[in-house]
Parts: sequence; C-alpha cells; structure tokens
Amino acid sequence: MASNQRSEQGDELLRAYFEKLERPSTWSGLPTKPFYSPADASDLDYRRDLNDPGEFPYARGVHADMYRGRLWTRREVCGFGSARDTNQRLRFQISQGVSGLSIIDDNNGSLTIDADHPMATLEAGLQGVSVSSLRDMEDLFEGIPIDKVSVSFDISGLDCIAWMAMYVAAAEKRGIDPAALRGTVQNDTLHFQFCGYGNSCPVDLGLKSSVDIIEFCARRMPRWYTGNANLYDMRENGLDAPQEVAFGLSLASAYIGKAIDRGLNVDDIAPRRAFYCSCHIDFFEEIAKLRSARRIWARLMRDRFGAKDPRSLQFRFGVHTAGVSLYPSQPLNNAIRVAYEALAAVLAGAQSIHTCSYDEPIGLPTETSQTLAIRTQQIIAYETGAAGVADPLGGSWYIESLTNQIEGKAQEIMAEIELQGGMVAAIKSGWVLREIESAALRRQNEIENGEKIVVGTNAFQTERETQTPGGIHESPAGQGEALAASVRELRRGRDQGQVAEALQRLHAQALGGERVNLLPALIEAARAYATLGEMMGTVRIAYGQPYDPMGVLAPPRL
Amino acid sequence: MTHKPKILLAKVGLDGHDRGVKVVAKLLHTAGMEVVYLGIHQTSEAIVEAAIQEDVEVVGLSSLGGAHLRYAEKILGLMRERGLDVPVVLGGTLPVEDIPRLEAIGIRAVFPAGTPAAEFEDKIRQLAASSRERV
Repeated sequence: MASNQRSEQGDELLRAYFEKLERPSTWSGLPTKPFYSPADASDLDYRRDLNDPGEFPYARGVHADMYRGRLWTRREVCGFGSARDTNQRLRFQISQGVSGLSIIDDNNGSLTIDADHPMATLEAGLQGVSVSSLRDMEDLFEGIPIDKVSVSFDISGLDCIAWMAMYVAAAEKRGIDPAALRGTVQNDTLHFQFCGYGNSCPVDLGLKSSVDIIEFCARRMPRWYTGNANLYDMRENGLDAPQEVAFGLSLASAYIGKAIDRGLNVDDIAPRRAFYCSCHIDFFEEIAKLRSARRIWARLMRDRFGAKDPRSLQFRFGVHTAGVSLYPSQPLNNAIRVAYEALAAVLAGAQSIHTCSYDEPIGLPTETSQTLAIRTQQIIAYETGAAGVADPLGGSWYIESLTNQIEGKAQEIMAEIELQGGMVAAIKSGWVLREIESAALRRQNEIENGEKIVVGTNAFQTERETQTPGGIHESPAGQGEALAASVRELRRGRDQGQVAEALQRLHAQALGGERVNLLPALIEAARAYATLGEMMGTVRIAYGQPYDPMGVLAPPRL
Repeated sequence: MTHKPKILLAKVGLDGHDRGVKVVAKLLHTAGMEVVYLGIHQTSEAIVEAAIQEDVEVVGLSSLGGAHLRYAEKILGLMRERGLDVPVVLGGTLPVEDIPRLEAIGIRAVFPAGTPAAEFEDKIRQLAASSRERV
C-alpha cells in the first residue's frame, strides 16, 4: 500500500515536472505565438497609431505625466445597511488612506422602491446601502467634506437621477454650491437591460433620465462626471475582451448621440464622460484591451461626432477588478488574483481603481478584507515602481500586436452593432442579451471541461473550508424591519402638503415631454423629503409606466 | 425511456444577478433534465405555487444578494403550510459559514459559485429520484 502510494506520487511528480502550457491563447481565445518580434508590429506608425502619452490617439494614455501628475483615485465600492452604517465604513476607508469614495445602493434602490415597500424589507441594506430619501442622503455624508472629496455613485438605473437630486439638495442644505461637487454618477441606464433590473428602467425613459443628468451637469456641475459606460457589468456577465470594448464603446456612443439630439454640443459634454472597465485575469490581454479602447474612442469621437476638445477624445476609465474571476474556494487566492488585475490596470493607465476584496464571491467585505484591498493598491502605488512611467509596456511587440488584434475584433463587432441601427436598437431587439448569454455559457463550458484552469476550483482543490479567513460580514437581524420603520416614520413627520405639491409639479414637468429636464423638479421634491419611490414612481406614471415597478403599490392621488 | 428529472429554478427576491442561474438552467437541460426557469424577482409565494402547478421533483433557488437564509426559511415554511414535500437546493454567493445553517433549516444541498456542474447534476438527479420514490 505504502509503496503503491509512493509510486503514484512519483508519477505525479514526473507529470508535473514535464507539464507543458496547455492553452497557448489569451483568456478571450486569441491565439498567441511563442514569441513576438518587430514583424508583428511592423505596420504601426508611431505618430499615427501610438504617439506619446497625452497625444492623439491616446493609445499610450491620456496624460503625458500620468501618475506623476496625479496618482489614480484609490476607491473601494461601499454600501450596506443604513446610511449611518455606510457612513461609518466610509470614514473607516478614509482613515485607511483611500483617495476617493464609491457608494452603491441596495436592490431596492436599483429598482427605485423604498425600504418600506412590501417586497423590500428582506432586502433592505443587503447588497448596498438603503437610501429612501434626502434624510438618508444627509446621514450618508454626515461629517464627510463633500466639497473636497470625489464621490462616485456606483448606480445605474432610474435611481441615478434621484440620487443626483438628493445629493444636490443635501449639498445645498450644507451651503455647498453644486458647482463645487466633484465625482461621478455611473448613469448607464441602458446596461440595466441586461443586469437583471431592466423592468424598473425602460430603455427610453432610462435614456431620457441619463441625458437629463448630462444636460444638468453641463450647466450646473462642471466638475462632475455625468456617466460611465459600464463595460464592467457586461464583462462580468460573460463577454470577452474585444466584446467588452465593442459593446462598451457602442453604449457610450449612444449617450453622446442622444445628448447631441437634445441640442447639446459634443465638446460641452464629452469631457465629463468616462468609462468603467473590468480588469480580468489575463494580464497582457487586459492591458492591450484598455490601450485599444483608448485608440478606438479617440478616433470615433473625432470622426463620428466631430469632437475638437482633446478632453472629448480621451478615454478616461476607472477599473473594477473582475469579481467574476474570483472564487469562494480557497478565498485567499483571490487576493493574489486581485493584485495582478490591479497591477494590469495601473500599467494600462487607469484613472481610478476599485480592488475587490478577497471575500467578493462570498459576501459583503469586512473591514479586514477591505483593508487588504486598499493595501494592495498602496503597495502597487508606493512600492512596486509600476506607477512611475506612463505606458511602460508600450513598444512591446506582443502588447502592440495584441492591442491591434483586439482593436480589429472590437471594430468588427461595433460595425455589426451599427448595421443593426446602433446599440439602442440592438438592445431592444434582444441581440445584446443573446450575445451575453451565449458568451456566459461558453465561459462556463471552458471551465467545466478543464480548458481553463482555475486554481483551487477545477484544479488543486482541497477540502471545502468551514470558515472564511478574516470572518464574514453579517447583517444584523431585523435590519430590514428597522429600515422600513424609519421610512414610515419619515413619512409621518414631513409636511405632506409640501410633498404633494412638489410631486404634482414633478408630474406636470414629466408630462412636458422628453426635453424637459426633470432634475430641477426632482431637487425640489427631494428637498421636501419625497421618497425615492414616490419621485420615480411619479415620473414613471407620466411616462406610461407602472408607478411601482414591482406592481404592488397603487399610485397615490396627485 | 428513462425518466427526465424535473426541476424548478428561480431567483427569489430582488437580486438581479442572473448569469449563474441561466447558465445552470442550460447545463441541466443539456444534461437531460426538464427545467422550468421562472426568472428574476420571484416572490416566495410565486415559487411555491409554481412548484405545485408544475409538479416538479426539485426546487433550485439562486441567491447572490445575501438574503439566502431569510428567503430559504420563508419558502420552506410556505411549502410546509401547503403540504409540499419536495427537496430544495440553493446556489450562489454565500459564506461557507451559512451552509450548515441552510442545511439545518432543511435545504438539501448548497452549491456555492464554482461548484462543478457534474457535482450539482448528480446531486439533483439523486434528489429527484428520491422525490419520485416517495410519491
């Protein structure tokens, strides 16, 4: 028996010793060669196709001095429990050295229903912070200098416009001019169609609200980024790297086109648009992907939209390391994956990075896991030397060849989308969702049949852990009930006449047609402590949609 | 002809992460099962009602929003009230610490993200067979 075991182990060792690389292609399936030479990048013209960082077509980065001018924003998406709970964690993050804040709301918020909605109680504060009114917004930022810190709302449905209204109202109550506010609202309502929240955010109404935000900020909030095309969520849903670029840039073009239709000038809006990208596990492919996106975007903005302002041509992006590349088994492995992904983001010239916590595929992050995520960014920034030089991999024959390949593939897909009438049409026809679903199945099959190795999951498995290292985030029992009670209490305590008047005005404005910007009326309603559900329900009925996206509540009499 | 196991899949509550459950639905279908997928935003009541109407042998819940314990408790309670004795399994994003808790309240198998398809297919087949035997 013992000698049998020894000989088996010996065979295994021999196999391991002679093991060859099984999959000589990228994560997305692009074939790779054993090595690259000048011939692989021979058709590149330096000035035309690459140029110095900070110069058109920005393939090498949007700033000449890159991180010597300003380090990337180090932020960690945050949101759980009540606004006060999240406020505490935000302050903790600040104490640990983040340089920006990023907030996500719960499922109720994404669907624009309040915490006291009959379907909301079990969910309140679970997947993000529970915010039902201006009062929660005030609590969320209490003691945080919002005139100085950059705040990102990781929010994309009809809740975006309501959050903007509540944020502006909260700032004004504190005597802060909205023009001083610095930050980003994700505002990619279109991508909600394939992220499981489509019903709450119909395509046309979503687009209208997105453009309202773009227009309002162009006039009143010059420091605010009015939207990120959310490439990340689409990639998380299964797309590969060229698809991520193609779908993302097509989405971004849809908003620019719609804003121009509203009468806005491209150079008045495009400098405040940005992108929210994934950085997945294939190191070089991700760097090449982001470089190719910069080049395509610059040319597209110049040639298709006639943009002249250099800032309109620049593909600025935040990175969220790929949650879907992380697995619950052997959780600490995830910290290693995240570090490589974040390093790739830095080498690719990201403007802002969220590093996932190692417990991302397990639950909400704990202080311990989130601190490690922050430290990961700090080690890259201060210890590795990776941030010192812009586009340090530029000129690598492999990277340049891969950048060209991804660019070519992405452009083919974008042409296919244009043939269908653009991204909005491709979403409405169901084509985008079908592409995403078939990609997801393909990805899963690659793992099931062992074509892709995931360490600790389909290889090198160990017995399942019984405890998560560092502990887990537990939501207190009764959290949802308490959050619901707090909204009911708010409803009792406010000036009902003022609320009704503000909602009537909002309703009238919403009936005024697509070009009537709803933000001013929403800010008024928010100030009167109308709730998220009331505000967006009022807008929804004016647009022929159900007041309650869940179909439970009847509309109040206006 | 061999019997096709019949499973109901649903996302309970408001969580919209449906990549996983849709892939699972396709994998189970390819493995020769009859799959009824209810979609996202299902109430506990609707799931139990559909399980009765569709006469399924297994109920599979997908949860990535952190509400797995609360919904599992609610659904199992409703099933008891309606006299429906069908094994319920659950998959998604959850801490390993919750697996014994889910099993203690009556969830028959828990499949965290990353569980190999062969493993959950086998388990579901087994549970479906035991479900048929009891009838």
